[in-house]
Amino acid sequence: MDNIEYLFAGFAVVWACIFIYLLLLQGRLRALQHEIERLEERLEEAERTSAGTPPGGNRQGQPRGE
Amino acid sequence: MTALAMRLLNLRWTVLPPAAGIAMMAMIVGALVAAPREIIEGEVQRLMYIHVPAAIATYGAFFVTFVASVMVLWKRDMRWDAIARGSAQVGVLFTALVLLSGAIWGRPIWGVYWTWDARLTTTLILFLIYSAYLLARAISDSTDEQAARYAAVIGIVGFLDVPLIQMSVRWWRTLHPQPIIFTTKPALPGEMLIVLLIGFVAVFLLAAWLISLSTETERLHQRLAGVRAGVDRHEGA
Repeated sequence: MDNIEYLFAGFAVVWACIFIYLLLLQGRLRALQHEIERLEERLEEAERTSAGTPPGGNRQGQPRGE
Repeated sequence: MTALAMRLLNLRWTVLPPAAGIAMMAMIVGALVAAPREIIEGEVQRLMYIHVPAAIATYGAFFVTFVASVMVLWKRDMRWDAIARGSAQVGVLFTALVLLSGAIWGRPIWGVYWTWDARLTTTLILFLIYSAYLLARAISDSTDEQAARYAAVIGIVGFLDVPLIQMSVRWWRTLHPQPIIFTTKPALPGEMLIVLLIGFVAVFLLAAWLISLSTETERLHQRLAGVRAGVDRHEGA
């Protein structure tokens, strides 16, 4: 009994699933990090605007503007 | 958390990927080249070196989900929910790998890809339970504490299926072989046991890395929801 084609099919399926999952995870991680950075910049901008401070100004000691 | 614990935890990003990669390569070489050919089943028996470790990794990943789910209910801390979700994803992936590799192995040996055997059926039930867990969390907000608690109940109850899977081959008449490794006298030659041990190490490292990555993804989902809520508050004010 040989069945070598089943052996390669088994390993190929396992490796393919692991690689696809890894690629999906990496893609999701990158997209999430990008989205968080974008929203944090927007939040900073919104905080500056509500506190009446020009961009790059010193915000120390100022209220959070809620 | 202490500084030392944090430093050790951060090693997972630098140590786990190369360690898992090298160990997986060693397992492949061991399985395809070094391990002796089994006389009765032939070449396809080499699937054991990925099938059995993946099954044990499945139990490990769902055990992490079980513990993290208990902590969600006990501590009401959403960081545990991220760990539970991350490990459940990896558990479902490995259960799928076990079912697929088992089906491919079963075709030439049993003559069928699938049969409603007790071991196979209880494993499929495990897959469905934790798929339902992931679905329940996916349709709710990542910061929804009530949804996290409901899902945690599924995460805990679902784990009861693991001992059932393990004992199924003893309690019922099944096509699936009896345990030959985790017994007092393993029924495997030394060369096969060594390659299998490498397989366990490789799949354990891979599972640990994947759980770290998926937990980080879930943690970022929670952080994103927090930042988004902050932006909405400011822009709505």
